[in-house]
Amino acid sequence: MKNKFGNVLDWLKSKSVDYADCRYVRTEKESLRVTDGVIDTLSRDVDVGVGIRVIHNGAWGFASIASTKESDIKKTANKALQTARASASAKKENVKLADQEVFKDRYKSPCVKDPFMVPVDEKIGLLLEISDQLKSKELIKTAEASMDFFKTNKIFCSTEGAEIEQDIIESGAGYSAIAFDGNEVQKRSYPNSHRGDYATRGYEFIEEMNLLGYVDKTREEAIELLTADECPDTEADIIICGSQMALQVHESCGHPTELDRVLGTEISLAGGSFMQIDGLNDLVYGSPIVNIYADATIPGALGSFGYDDEGVKAQRSPIVKDGMHVGYLTSRETAPVIGQRSNGTMRADKWNRLPLIRMTNINLEPGEWELDDLIADTEGGIFFDMNKVWSIDDRRLNFQFGVECAREIKGGKLGRMLKNPLYTGMTPKFWNSCDAICNKNHWHVWGVPNCGKGEPMQTARVAHGTSPARFRKVKVGVSK
Amino acid sequence: MIGKDKLFSTFEKVAKSSRADETEIVFVGNTSGLTRFANSTIHQNVNETNAKILFRVVNGKKIGVASTNSMAFNDLRATLKNAVEIANYQKDNKYFMGLPEQADYADIDTYFDNTAKYAPKERARMVKKVFVRGNKRKFTCAGSYATGDGEIAVFNTKGVRCYQPVTSASLNIIAMSETSSGFAIGLSRDVDKIDPVALADIAVEKAFRSKKPKALEPGDYEVILEPSAIAEIFEWVNYIGFGSKSFLDKTSFLSENIGKNVMSDLVSIYDDGADIEGIALPFDFEGVPRQKIFFVEKGVGRGVAFDRTSGNKNGVASTGHALTADEQGEGAIPLNIFIGTGDKTRDEMISSVKKGILVTRFHYINGFLDTPKAVLTGMTRDGTFLIEDGKIKHGIKNMRFTDSMMRAFSTVKGVSKDRYPIPSWWDAVGCLCCPTIHLGSLKFTGTTDF
Repeated sequence: MKNKFGNVLDWLKSKSVDYADCRYVRTEKESLRVTDGVIDTLSRDVDVGVGIRVIHNGAWGFASIASTKESDIKKTANKALQTARASASAKKENVKLADQEVFKDRYKSPCVKDPFMVPVDEKIGLLLEISDQLKSKELIKTAEASMDFFKTNKIFCSTEGAEIEQDIIESGAGYSAIAFDGNEVQKRSYPNSHRGDYATRGYEFIEEMNLLGYVDKTREEAIELLTADECPDTEADIIICGSQMALQVHESCGHPTELDRVLGTEISLAGGSFMQIDGLNDLVYGSPIVNIYADATIPGALGSFGYDDEGVKAQRSPIVKDGMHVGYLTSRETAPVIGQRSNGTMRADKWNRLPLIRMTNINLEPGEWELDDLIADTEGGIFFDMNKVWSIDDRRLNFQFGVECAREIKGGKLGRMLKNPLYTGMTPKFWNSCDAICNKNHWHVWGVPNCGKGEPMQTARVAHGTSPARFRKVKVGVSK
Repeated sequence: MIGKDKLFSTFEKVAKSSRADETEIVFVGNTSGLTRFANSTIHQNVNETNAKILFRVVNGKKIGVASTNSMAFNDLRATLKNAVEIANYQKDNKYFMGLPEQADYADIDTYFDNTAKYAPKERARMVKKVFVRGNKRKFTCAGSYATGDGEIAVFNTKGVRCYQPVTSASLNIIAMSETSSGFAIGLSRDVDKIDPVALADIAVEKAFRSKKPKALEPGDYEVILEPSAIAEIFEWVNYIGFGSKSFLDKTSFLSENIGKNVMSDLVSIYDDGADIEGIALPFDFEGVPRQKIFFVEKGVGRGVAFDRTSGNKNGVASTGHALTADEQGEGAIPLNIFIGTGDKTRDEMISSVKKGILVTRFHYINGFLDTPKAVLTGMTRDGTFLIEDGKIKHGIKNMRFTDSMMRAFSTVKGVSKDRYPIPSWWDAVGCLCCPTIHLGSLKFTGTTDF
């Protein structure tokens, strides 16, 4: 493939392109799901192709094809070139890329047990057992348990001489129980909602989840929610669990610090950002204990890789330091706008999509608190557990998130269960009300396998290292 | 485009080697381009040629599914072998009825040569016209212009041979000033029906009229919801309410409400895959003809969509709404949704409002909070206005609504005569055709700074 790319890139150079890169991606996917004891998904997919980016006369063109034949790749390169010419007819300024060290390297994600080599019977057997145990009470209407595995091989070559090959394995699993009593419907999930938890690791990640160990708790909590009191409409001190904090970081810090959004180039679909460039090193994003950083180098985390899809090496960079906004997620095209080099966040869904700025692992640094101590320190409040609803405005200011389950905190102790819990706020005010973050014993990197962005739509797999945190005087519940 | 004859002859050849009792092959292929613009310049311009070929094999009641994006004969054979191997691991699916036999489906024209041949330079030429309209009134423009063609084929060893060539074109535009934005969108299978200049003028006018928006207190307001806003709401209502899975899980608001009043008698919602007013596709991904079905008819809950397996689970026949085999765990989901029209014009409805809000579109709606009551939350964006004494007064800062759609759509005061196709996340094979609707009440629970 590298030879084919070399020939095509030489041809593009002969056409006086400013820059070009070729990306081969082969992804193998296996999905398994059991619903109420029936295997309703057991499928494998293989997806292969090549995408080519070209800058010609200062404008971008991209073309892709589901083929690896050199003749097809060359035709596709020509299409990318013609498309760049069309773009040039409506450009304002020439595209310029930040300088970048050129790498020739190979990266492999950590994997002890290749999930594609684990017998299907073993995986299905575990899912069936989970489903059966979840359904062991009549009030459970639906029990779902699923696993997904991805094996990706990528080759990236550019006119600058980059030659990078990466092999990444991703694994994920989770389950949920829906309880119904003829009137009310409630749901609980483990280890996280929306198909569970994910990592760039092998089947050992699934085994470490102790999936069977939480079935009883999940089932019983779903049933208990049926008769729980409604979450009140009030202002309260709240403690948010680690997985919901991951969603909070994702929506209210990850997305608004994507520099392409800030510069307006994602406005047509996902919107813009309130974290404008004039606020860099000036905007007080959160309280002084809030430190958020991007880190694509955490071994095994879902947002980790060796190099991004522009050939920039994975790295760690600060986003919020001591509460102050200090950084963005950048690309080679956008970083020069703030006088920097790319911090390596450009990734494409597959070969047929243009790389965009995507979250890597966007993490909230752990604080000092043990969770038990934090609850004990909270006189009155609500504990929010596991995401159910997410909605935020198109500049990432007004958000409203709901969780599967909440518990009242009274006199420093967890009390009655509350159903349909919601909290809402404005991003900077909310983060400035953060007065406690749990320590590294409670810190976990949560894999988010379904981050949508771009046109045509792309889905990225990203992650967030978080621990539970407390926020003061937050509006909870909303009259419906 | 590969063409019907070549696709089916290839699939015949591949299926001959199948060791399964029954074999299904579904082909979904496309060649498409998308020109994306922002700050009145083209910043992304992409092309794609791709396909997905899905094999579903059946041994007794055991099903195996495998897919590839390669039409190379050896890759097709390998994928078939993979599907057969997967079926061996399966347990019996007691609800599976076997693959269907061929049935007649509507003969409709969904392919336009001019759309298929539309090139990046033509998209760029039209986008420049959009910039000119924006620049004229000092607005920058963002958006995307997508065109493409494709083929959908369903083949099985019981005789199903369904084939539909398709094209589509869609343009969305956001005109922006320092303090405001306005939105317009067009969708058609025929690119010549998209008028970039007219759409740009709508977006620019909205951005102009919503400059320097004022804040409005959250509360219960009358609203006029334009077609994009209606589409965003019913995209979610469909997802949580009109599919077989949510119905059988009891999470749908229709699960316990068939035959009961769920909305105003001015509201009818149905799916019709053969109606070319939308992005029609007359058969589903099992090769079953899509039936016209009502979810809500004159306010009364009527039913949901089923494929063969979920229908059997519920004791009814398929309505022709199966997804592809790799997605069938999600059950059947409607893709060609129509909201019934009324007898009003948009202006008549606005003029009847004493104090209310005109919503162009919503952003980031979510409907998982309380699905049996169809509670949604979301933000307005790109053109939200205060209406007073029957007139649009000024732009207002964007607001969050949180409300039950059963409750809100029980307060309908009027529905427009006209409706428009609005793209959705499944826009290659369907869309939502929506009128403007006047609600007597929608609960706004928050506001933002812009």
